[in-house]
Amino acid sequence: MKRRNFLKNIAVGSLALNIKPNIFAQIPSRPDLAVVTGESPSLITKEAISALGGIKRFISKGDKVLVKPNIGWDRKPEQAACTNPEVVKTVVELCLEAGAKEVKVMDNPCNPARRTYVRSGIAKAAKDAGAKVPFPNEHKLEKIPLNGEKLKEWEVYRDFIETDKLINMPIAKHHSLSRLTLGMKNWLGALGGNRNALHQGLDYAMVDLAAFFKPALTVLDAYRILHRNGPQGGRLSDTKLFKTVVAGVDYVAVDAMGTTFFGIKPEEMRFLQLASERGLGIMNLEKIKIEKRTL
Amino acid sequence: MKKERSKKYRLIQILRIISQLLFFSLFFYLLLGTRFPGGDYIGRVEIFFHFDPLLALTTSIASRVFFASFILAAITLVLTFIAGRFFCGWICPLGSIHQFFSFLFKKAKLLKTKIHEDNHTAWKYYLLAVILAGSLFSLNLVGWLDPFSLLYRSFTVSFMPGVSHLISNLIEVFYQVKLSSLGDSLVQFFETLDINATFIQGFIIGVIFIGLVFLNIFRERFWCRYLCPLGAFLGLAARWNILKLKVDPDKCINCGLCSRLCQTQANPYPNENWKSSECDYCFTCSAICPTNAISFPIKSTPEKIKSIDLSRRKIILASLTGIFAVPLFRLSPASYRASEKLIRPPGSLPEKKFLQKCVKCGECMKVCPTNALQPALKEAGPEGIWTPMLVPEIGYCEYYCSLCTQVCPTGAIQELSIEEKNELKIGTAWINKNRCIPWKFGDPCIVCEEHCPVSPKAIQLMKVEVTQLDGTVKTPLAPVIDIKACTGCGICENKCPVMDKPAIYVTSVGESRSEQNQLLLDTISEKNIY
Repeated sequence: MKRRNFLKNIAVGSLALNIKPNIFAQIPSRPDLAVVTGESPSLITKEAISALGGIKRFISKGDKVLVKPNIGWDRKPEQAACTNPEVVKTVVELCLEAGAKEVKVMDNPCNPARRTYVRSGIAKAAKDAGAKVPFPNEHKLEKIPLNGEKLKEWEVYRDFIETDKLINMPIAKHHSLSRLTLGMKNWLGALGGNRNALHQGLDYAMVDLAAFFKPALTVLDAYRILHRNGPQGGRLSDTKLFKTVVAGVDYVAVDAMGTTFFGIKPEEMRFLQLASERGLGIMNLEKIKIEKRTL
Repeated sequence: MKKERSKKYRLIQILRIISQLLFFSLFFYLLLGTRFPGGDYIGRVEIFFHFDPLLALTTSIASRVFFASFILAAITLVLTFIAGRFFCGWICPLGSIHQFFSFLFKKAKLLKTKIHEDNHTAWKYYLLAVILAGSLFSLNLVGWLDPFSLLYRSFTVSFMPGVSHLISNLIEVFYQVKLSSLGDSLVQFFETLDINATFIQGFIIGVIFIGLVFLNIFRERFWCRYLCPLGAFLGLAARWNILKLKVDPDKCINCGLCSRLCQTQANPYPNENWKSSECDYCFTCSAICPTNAISFPIKSTPEKIKSIDLSRRKIILASLTGIFAVPLFRLSPASYRASEKLIRPPGSLPEKKFLQKCVKCGECMKVCPTNALQPALKEAGPEGIWTPMLVPEIGYCEYYCSLCTQVCPTGAIQELSIEEKNELKIGTAWINKNRCIPWKFGDPCIVCEEHCPVSPKAIQLMKVEVTQLDGTVKTPLAPVIDIKACTGCGICENKCPVMDKPAIYVTSVGESRSEQNQLLLDTISEKNIY
């Protein structure tokens, strides 16, 4: 086993060494993460994406884009169980400005979609911005080989595959099993079937899913975070205004940043360790370039 | 003599058909509208029930309480006093269905029209006597037989799920022949209709409804003629109405066509045999009369007309049947010990009062956003067959929803705001440690806790020691229930990943509405909203 780990480390290490300098050579000033704090959810979202180099870095003209917020629960925005609708709206607008052909916003919620889409405020916000907001369609469920370490195949809504670009838009919340639900956990919303069974190996499932979906961009909504009674909360006192948005390409780094908002060190999180071991991204925030701005 | 059919009555007949279409569409529109409206409060989609004087009368008698919304039934009653059973011929959507199928069966030559001189039309009056006698002793029999209840229940529990399955198959075909975009838009459209497609008793309720429709092969509008207790009730009210059929003896050629084609066996010919209590004012007789001999002149002075032959002995017998039915329908262990599976919708009255008021219409089952409310079979005893109960294996009570309490037409479920609803308990969750993944195997699973909607959660996690087969000990977080915080919503049972028999389940104990069905002394709800 040691030998295998050793080989894996070498492989990951050399990959990192090979890729990193190239990125820096092309765009030397670009940060890995943008962390923007401010009063307006919409402005901080815009600022975070522009700090990364603007939406055009991620979305090309004519792209079909799927935006995956967390619309899991029949809860209002101020309960911080679903992604902030203004943050979603802003990203949709940016994508369309960048010339996206079509922007879809969808999730497979835990409560009935018709309710969560409405109460979360996301359906209206996204539609106002010009996105399509379809309900999950079971005819589009297909068993997809995920080729993960634990998760070999699962039923996935084809919308998440038949798209040019994926943008992951989680909200930062407490969760009693994975401790927190951030970007990587958000992919459970792309699945159908008895996905609740995944909780028996949730950390592994999250990592396998994150490795499979590979979003072009992750925008973590931490405008209002849920610090207890997750992932649904309920009382306003379960939430805390944090007024921050994190954006990045490296979804492991985004989640690592998110953990710090709860006073947790990234290396305490099992799924971040697993992801980092597998070389999916960088968990150590000291090793990446973070651009922090306050509006 | 001039042989000519009446143009005027032909026109009235067409107007009647338009009216039937309109009211059927209205019924169907309200049925479709009985779903999550995109907000917390729904309009009065159940309003047509309140125009039903039979429901108004029997539920008021059975429960000894008059539900204010039923004041609308007075309109129907007064209009019937004045103009007769036009309600049956012009408005009733169930009547329209029966008439439509009678028409089809006639065209298919399955139903042959002839003159019936029998007195079977009296059946429905005896049925009415049974229902009224039962309601005197607080037994609510009307729910099974009232045309609105019957129609709404059959549509909600059988017809709509059937349509939904059919559409789902059709959409599947569209995807197979690569018409995906058509499939997509159909799926999105039907998703917004929120059709509940899973009903345990959908089959049997559907078979009964189809059976009633097929009875039209034997007699036109079989249900309306012989069985409908509302028809009987309106028939009694219609005796003194001012629209009386008149056959002009000078024009009449004694062909008997009017009596042969009469939809409800009111026997227009000979004139003195016409029964105003049976006529539903379809105006078929006056429209088809070859010599335009039949008219309905307005007469304010009552005259002696033939009424239906009701044998006093049979009425007494029927009433006695209704009275003897009372203990029979109550032979159930439920009166001794509450049924664990009988989880009533939030806001339901205490069981005894609930059974007196519930008319088994299925409004609550239609509006439930998770398909959780199902018609009971044996859980509530014979008296409670087809009354609503929450089945967590199918759906659960959505936290921010009180729609079922808003649509109940009789107040069997009290109208509640969402805040009021969330203070109530409808049951209590229990963990089956022999099946629970952490408790039994020591593996992680927190699905029930994660879904628990109350804050702080009624399902808490506790570190436990689980000894494995090989003697090693695992220490997973395992769920434990705070029975005071638990509302009994059932989402934990619904989402439990143990697929066949969930490892967490809800039973009715602790429900706020009951004084007896409680667990610990201090959990008896202090707030009694009733």
